[in-house]
Amino acid sequence: MQWGKLQFRMMPVLLLFVSSALLAQEGVVDLGGRAANPFTASSGKAVVLVFLRRDCPVSGRYAPLIQQISKRYADRVNFWLIYPDKSETAQAIRKSVSDFGYEIPVLRDPEHSLVKLSRVQITPEVGVFDRNQRLVYDGRIDNWYVDLFHPRPAPTTHELEDAIEAVLSDQPVARNEVRGVGCYISDLE
Amino acid sequence: MSFLRLSTLGISLLLAASVSQSLAQTAHAQETSSTVTFNRDIAPIIFHSCSTCHRPGEAAPFSLLNYLDVRKHAHQIADVTRSRTMPPWLPEPQKLKFADELRLSNAEIDMIQRWVDQGEIEGNPADLPPKPEFVEGWRLGKPDMILTATKPLVLPPQGTDTYWNFIFRVPIEGTKWVKAVEIRPGDKQYVHHANILVDREGSSRKREKELGAGFGGMEIRIESQVFDPDSHLLFWKPGTVPYVEPDGMALRLDKGTDLILNTHLQPSGKPEVIRPSIGLYFTPHPATKLPMLLQLEDDVKLDIPAGDKAFVVSDQFTLPVDVELLAIYPHAHYLGKDIQAHAILADGTRETLIHIPDWNLNWQAVYRYAEPVLLPKGTTVSLQYTYDNSDGNPLNPNHPPIEVKGGNRSTDEMCHLWLQVLPVNFDPAKGDPRMVLQEALARHDVENNPGDFEAHYNLAAMLQAKKEFEGAITEYLEAVKLRPQDAAGNNALGGALVAAGHPEQAAEYLQEALKVRPDYFDAHYNLGFALADQNDFAGSAAQFQAALQLQPRDAAVEANLGAALAEMGRLPEAKAHFEHALQLDPNQPIAKENLREIEKEMTAK
Repeated sequence: MQWGKLQFRMMPVLLLFVSSALLAQEGVVDLGGRAANPFTASSGKAVVLVFLRRDCPVSGRYAPLIQQISKRYADRVNFWLIYPDKSETAQAIRKSVSDFGYEIPVLRDPEHSLVKLSRVQITPEVGVFDRNQRLVYDGRIDNWYVDLFHPRPAPTTHELEDAIEAVLSDQPVARNEVRGVGCYISDLE
Repeated sequence: MSFLRLSTLGISLLLAASVSQSLAQTAHAQETSSTVTFNRDIAPIIFHSCSTCHRPGEAAPFSLLNYLDVRKHAHQIADVTRSRTMPPWLPEPQKLKFADELRLSNAEIDMIQRWVDQGEIEGNPADLPPKPEFVEGWRLGKPDMILTATKPLVLPPQGTDTYWNFIFRVPIEGTKWVKAVEIRPGDKQYVHHANILVDREGSSRKREKELGAGFGGMEIRIESQVFDPDSHLLFWKPGTVPYVEPDGMALRLDKGTDLILNTHLQPSGKPEVIRPSIGLYFTPHPATKLPMLLQLEDDVKLDIPAGDKAFVVSDQFTLPVDVELLAIYPHAHYLGKDIQAHAILADGTRETLIHIPDWNLNWQAVYRYAEPVLLPKGTTVSLQYTYDNSDGNPLNPNHPPIEVKGGNRSTDEMCHLWLQVLPVNFDPAKGDPRMVLQEALARHDVENNPGDFEAHYNLAAMLQAKKEFEGAITEYLEAVKLRPQDAAGNNALGGALVAAGHPEQAAEYLQEALKVRPDYFDAHYNLGFALADQNDFAGSAAQFQAALQLQPRDAAVEANLGAALAEMGRLPEAKAHFEHALQLDPNQPIAKENLREIEKEMTAK
């Protein structure tokens, strides 16, 4: 009986490791419609997936900051913009990315594989993965928005940058998840 | 003399709406079924209360016009309606009703929650009400005159909120009466609110670096030479439908009037080009009723200690005449928390004029009453604003908190309350009731804020308008004592001294004004007078010359320059100036009379 229990507890853990790479591929495409995997394309580097909705104004306002952070860590961290809205056309996304001046590669995640993998719920939120593709942080970029209608004059916490710093120095991340303010990804299902 | 208005002002005009229809439909739904469907139960609420702004080209960031639109934001809609942050409507319900109240009922809010909980069912297509119809473009049809900003503003992608003022020069040759103003603030998604100030003397033009460029900041200082108080709250916020004034309540625009559009802009993450336009709708009916804006302001009382969670400012003003209250516009910045205004009638009855328990600068608005509210003479208007300068206020611009005082920057605080009132039940033979109101308000301000420059200045201007020169001089002196370097203050004091027959003293202050602002037309003009009164005609002519350099087409200056030259015996030159004055204004009285005299004298010689 005891053996049975132990095995039962081990299984999901093993499954999780296997599933991360598998899930990452399911339905994920670049703007040309080709299947893509942000992890295989980022081998050996930490990965940040930034989830955005084109119709989410909070997503938009974060663009300059996301661009700045990605530039600062460009040599050690691979950033990807992830659009989880299956009804969006590649063309509309391409235009938006160019309007906002992003220089970050873009993927579409119509099946929400990367959403599930990153455990994000809101746009804009991020999933931060270490070099071994382990999710170490998911949630908001910082605490700029108190709620949808109350942006602070400036953020006073910086969860994304803290998580990146921790990952790069092989330190544990202080808080593994803090939910963001913006638009629900679940409304897109 | 001139009146100063220091303000970030606004106008009135709100959303057209009637809640009754959607209420009836939701009630019906509850009776017939416990399953909530989009087509039957949710669409009426959305179409009525959301789609006005949530459609292409309007202020909201996404459209809510059909089932798929709404489903894509269903949880968000459930959240923001439950918290009553959407639709945006800050005041609590009260006895005195506002027009176009944009507030969902509890039943409507519950309905949305249930719809989302039940899995966002679309329902029977036959239940779907007709799609709302909206007027595209100008809401009131093509305006009689469209003014577009000369130079667009490029809003940077990032940074704090921006306040920008566009100057619109109104190209009219004579007086026009305006029954409605539609503000199209440019890309509506990035303009939080906008309001128009009427600048009748071009006093903001000098703040433009180049013609049409506009200028930044929240502080707009408007001077006017005659008693001509602001009358209308010309305000835009997302969803605003232009308000058409009833006959007799039109806004007067004269030749040379500028409209200053003060905009509050929020960066979007990418560069945005903002180019507002204004549509004017004229009426042949001149104003027969003269409303005015009463501005209660207590910025001087704002000295909020760092960390103070509930700093209270209160003020009371007793009305000296009967008025009808038409609209109300409270204003505070990021520390403002709870905003209340009451009317206390002579019999002690207390009526809430407005109560906003959770102030949000980003959703400030003008609130127009559904019916005019009669406030008889002797009614006291009281305001009570509470500010939170603690770290617990996430909107606090300072982290950690610091002491905050009153001022015009967004990081300063404000305590303003504008009331649009219409004096009623007065005897026109006894003078202009607006002057009685303005003087009472000016005296109240001086009493409240003895250290406030504008308070003394405005009281002085009131007294001068009533030709009470000695009283005016006393108040101007107080003002200049408070701000010895203020050009407008020194000029006004000089002007009052000239009018009261003290040209020598006047010259001293006028010269001070010109030291601070060498291109100050009014000060040159007044100094020209003061010197002429002392028989220094050469000095006088020089001042009028300087004034003429600044405004070459001013007939009165031409005439006065002619007069000074004539006094010096330079008759042919004088004659030329009189003639030029008459070219500019065929009825210029000084030029007319003097030209006759000078022609007589020249013929006699």
